[in-house]
Amino acid sequence: MTDQPTLVVHQVSKRYPGRAGVQANDRVSLTVPAGQVVGLLGHNGAGKTTLVGQIVGLLRPDSGSISLAGHDAVAQPGLARRLTSVQVQTACALEGITPRGAIRTIGRIRGGSRAQVRARADQLIEALDLGPWADRPAEQLSGGVARLTAFGMAAVVPGALVILDEPTNDVDPVRRRLLWGQIQRLAEAGTAVLLITHNVREAEQVVDRLVVLEQGQVVAAGSLAELTADGQRDLEEAYIAICGRSPDPTAAAPDRLAEPQTAGSAGSENRP
Amino acid sequence: MTTVIRQLGLYLGWQFRRASQVVPLLIVVQIVLAVATVVGYGYLIGDAPRPVLLYLATGASTVSLVSVGLIMTPQMVARQRSEGSFDWVRTLPLPRGVLVAADLILWTALALPGMVLGLVTGTVRFQVDLALTPWLPLVALAVAATAACVGYALACLLHPMAAVLISQVLIFVVLLFSPVSYPVERLPDWLQTIHHWLPLEAMADLMRACLLRHDFPVLGRDVAVLAIWCLAALAGATWALRRRG
Repeated sequence: MTDQPTLVVHQVSKRYPGRAGVQANDRVSLTVPAGQVVGLLGHNGAGKTTLVGQIVGLLRPDSGSISLAGHDAVAQPGLARRLTSVQVQTACALEGITPRGAIRTIGRIRGGSRAQVRARADQLIEALDLGPWADRPAEQLSGGVARLTAFGMAAVVPGALVILDEPTNDVDPVRRRLLWGQIQRLAEAGTAVLLITHNVREAEQVVDRLVVLEQGQVVAAGSLAELTADGQRDLEEAYIAICGRSPDPTAAAPDRLAEPQTAGSAGSENRP
Repeated sequence: MTTVIRQLGLYLGWQFRRASQVVPLLIVVQIVLAVATVVGYGYLIGDAPRPVLLYLATGASTVSLVSVGLIMTPQMVARQRSEGSFDWVRTLPLPRGVLVAADLILWTALALPGMVLGLVTGTVRFQVDLALTPWLPLVALAVAATAACVGYALACLLHPMAAVLISQVLIFVVLLFSPVSYPVERLPDWLQTIHHWLPLEAMADLMRACLLRHDFPVLGRDVAVLAIWCLAALAGATWALRRRG
């Protein structure tokens, strides 16, 4: 057993080529230890989704290293994907599939036994209060229920690292609380959780540490107490002090993990 | 190995359930394509000698096989890329070969009903008696798989909008400018030369040879061209999925 954090991102840089080439990540370093929830904050275009793409091997860093559970994630992207469960912000290809079926199938794909996956899927459906929709095809579901289903797919057989990209978008306030509770449960079970969110008010209730990305660079990192000056200001005020603007939860347009966007397109992660 | 097969089965089931939403539409499109190819060419050509009718009767089945892979696959993959689900699938702990294999099986299976419909329509319309060879299933699978792999690679490598536009252009190339429903000799020399190296001519020749064995021989060159394209397209599609930006 080693004391090394589950995820170690060290000096990772990524630049998208082209005439309007953009430095999406600039010497980004962060760690996510087992059993902790680390919040990754930043505006659209800050480089968050680009970083996730590199962790799971959809993008190759220009420089720097990424270590996952002691393994080189850049050299072994297949292993990185086995070690990581991702809830993406975009669609999860659920049409024609029920939430229960989706959670079970992903659990089986991630290597869970049939019995283990059935039990865990039922547990998640109950914990997230998804019962009334659990056996309806996805096209009949609201965006919030689809997002909770996506969380269930990431959490059913979690890897050493779980990455959640805006997990509470479209989710109603009651189920948001349930969802935050399940995220805490994941960490308590020893999983490292990297939480990407604009919702700093809710995130501050569950995160152990925070990293703020701005224009591809880490501009602040530390515990909640460190960033909020021991509670003298709330996290949103701290964020505004660091970045000079509000995190703006309404600006959470879908990003892409791996495909460069055209200039000026909505939700692009600092891409040309 | 057992794990890979289990993952392939699970992911294939997932993809089939997703496709079940569009299968009726796909089948309708294939029927339209098959009937349009057979009936439309019939109107264009009018009364024709038997050799011409043989091409028309068998061409529609090849068009159906090719069109699903080369035209519909890029459009479906482009849509998945645009909505983001393509990236999500790539974050799953599935070997890239499993992703390609599952989609290949799916698109090949979806292409087969169109082939049969095209064949039935052609033989009835032009009153042609088929003489099948046992190689027909293998050749049909190779044609559908090659087309699907090429379409898949195109969709992975190009911008989604470009992939959709190219697939639409390919409809006209396949229907009008390929030696599928008429002999290659009708094309200008330069286009004949190009088709000697592209897979469409080999696909059409081999399908005809398997459907009308008394009228068309199996040419070794066609087998070689199709085999090379099949393997290259498979490697290309897998490489396109593995590629990291």
